[in-house]
Amino acid sequence: MDKKKICMVGDFSVGKTSLTQKFVNNVFSEKYLTTIGVKIDTVEVESTKLIIWDVAGRDSLSPINASYLVGAAGVILVADGTRESTVSGLLDIWAVVEKRIGSVPCVVALNKCDLPDWHVSESNLDEFASRDWSVFQTSAKKGHDVETLFHTLVAKI
Amino acid sequence: MESRTFKNKVQEFIRERVISKLQLAYFAVDEQMKVRGASSNLSDYGFPKLDIGKPVDEQIDFMIGMDAKTELDLPVVGSPSGIPISVSLMPDDDQLTVLISNASTATEQRQLLQQAANENELLVEQQKKLMSELEMASQELEQKNRQLEEASRLQTSFISGVSHEFRTPLTSIIGYTNLVKSDLAKMSEEMVPRIAKQDSDDYLSAVQRSSKHLLSLVENLLDHGKLDSDEINIRPKPTDLNELFRDVELLLTPLSTTKDIRFDIELDIPSDFEAIVDDSRLRQCLINLVGNAIKFTDEGGVSLKAKLENESLNVSVSDTGLGISADDLKKIRLPFFQAADTGKVGTGLGLTITERIIEMMGGQLEIESELNVGTCVTFSMPAPLIEPQLAVEQQLSVNLTELRVLLAEDDSDIADLVVMLLEEQGVNVRRVVNGALAVAALQEADFDIVLMDIHMPIMTGYEAIEELNKQGNTTPIIVMSASAVEDDQERAKGLGCAAYLVKPVDVQEILSIASMVIDVN
Ligand SMILES: Nc1nc2c(ncn2[C@@H]2O[C@H](COP(=O)(O)OP(=O)(O)O)[C@@H](O)[C@H]2O)c(=O)[nH]1
Ligand SMILES: [Mg+2]
Repeated sequence: MDKKKICMVGDFSVGKTSLTQKFVNNVFSEKYLTTIGVKIDTVEVESTKLIIWDVAGRDSLSPINASYLVGAAGVILVADGTRESTVSGLLDIWAVVEKRIGSVPCVVALNKCDLPDWHVSESNLDEFASRDWSVFQTSAKKGHDVETLFHTLVAKI
Repeated sequence: MESRTFKNKVQEFIRERVISKLQLAYFAVDEQMKVRGASSNLSDYGFPKLDIGKPVDEQIDFMIGMDAKTELDLPVVGSPSGIPISVSLMPDDDQLTVLISNASTATEQRQLLQQAANENELLVEQQKKLMSELEMASQELEQKNRQLEEASRLQTSFISGVSHEFRTPLTSIIGYTNLVKSDLAKMSEEMVPRIAKQDSDDYLSAVQRSSKHLLSLVENLLDHGKLDSDEINIRPKPTDLNELFRDVELLLTPLSTTKDIRFDIELDIPSDFEAIVDDSRLRQCLINLVGNAIKFTDEGGVSLKAKLENESLNVSVSDTGLGISADDLKKIRLPFFQAADTGKVGTGLGLTITERIIEMMGGQLEIESELNVGTCVTFSMPAPLIEPQLAVEQQLSVNLTELRVLLAEDDSDIADLVVMLLEEQGVNVRRVVNGALAVAALQEADFDIVLMDIHMPIMTGYEAIEELNKQGNTTPIIVMSASAVEDDQERAKGLGCAAYLVKPVDVQEILSIASMVIDVN
């Protein structure tokens, strides 16, 4: 069976762990538990064994440790649609990814679309579109577009 | 021998304290990423027993995507056992060694620290967001507030404007009615039959009452405008309270008679003292309260009680009228409020103004009411007492027949009226229609007194007075204006005017002021 490593990257508390858990174990928790380092989960998607590296988010104490990205066949860039800074922050994070592992296939999750105060500017969306990224509005809580998100990336790698 | 024992001891120490605590494990792969060898304790971390010679990425998930040439340090990785491990990939000439150690202690500490830091940052972000929302909401509110204020200001200035316009025609209605009434009284029985005379007199009294009532409504409207702009002043002066209450009784008894209801008044006020109150404001309040009570009472009656004790005036106005529901009682103090189904008309301002004025006089208004039973309004206010001053009545001491008056007034109805009333008293009146003509008239003839309207075409009263002041005029000037605005009065005073009369002016008032002014001069 084909095996692929992918990475969840983005700022802290945007829902990387939640999206992974929803996709792999179909569970969601409201409680926030900071991920330290990386958690690795595996799941079969069609005929591919997917190894999902849920990497600790970028935060005030530390940047993303790019070592965790090595060997990834693709990345999921995750942002919190209710925190504008995490959306525009994706461009910097992508620069880190690209520097370490090159221009791997990528999809974008604008997460928490179930919440009311959505703040995603048109200019950010235009920027993503110009890079040919597939952008999804997801909700780890409601499961909205979570499957599509992962399947789209798998199709690209 | 000695040193050898020491070396052993050190090695043992390192093995026990460091290596065993780190739970070091390892495996090695060749350049094709096939397993060459592994430590047996890999299973402590939940990894399977590795098959030598088989590809590592089929056996260990985190090795997927790795190659044998890249040196890599992964500080914290979740192992299959759940224990966080630290992973180091160390490439060599012909193999890659992967070193695994237990990272629990470091991770736990890191977890606590990171959790606190991240939660804190989320809170800060949340707070910023709330602050900016609050900011926006308060800006919106401010904007709305400004619009409301502007609307209310416009409304107020509209109301003041309109009520101001009403005063001038009302002045002439009231004045002419007085005139016709006194003419009628003088007519002999040959000229008018007695019955017809009585009827006409009644009709005229009705016109008088209605126009006075209308005037008081207009005054309430004007006051409403002033309440908003804080223009109302309270000017207490020694007042005979008994007389004031009797006045109110005289004025309002006809209203109750027309409605066929009782109106009694009960006074307990010592007559050997005067109270220091603003008589005209107090009168206005009483008229509003009793007028309201009569308006809303169709059966039974209204009773006005006043008691002066401990330098405090306690007043109650009770009626057996419609009463007010508990719901409406909450709203009744709002300007323009009218209970929906009373079928009564009015401006709905009386109570608002009365309450404010009573507050300004240091009192407090209280309303008790029960629907279909009646209403009782009470208030008490400070009323300090003094001995009455002697010589209150200023007798007209000047021979008025010789008085020469210059009247500057552009409204011909009012001018006619004032001329007629003054001439009746034997006064000589010369009449001009604007300020410029008044200045000219004073240059060519002598006058004892000038009656000056303010709002006139070509040259206003103020401009004329300024001009006269420049020319060194000494003739006393009495300003007569429809404007009850304090500013105008201040301005008149500033220009050295002898007095300021607000229309509708009473001819007796003109004369007594005239005689005082002339007396002084
Ligand atoms: N309402 C809502 N909350 C979410 C969603 N995804 C994650 N969360 C919450 O956001 C917080 C952070 O999620 P987590 O997955 O730990 O973020 P990570 O730091 O990116 O891994 C947690 O409290 C989650 O419950 C979502 O789609 N909707
Ligand atoms: Mg996480």
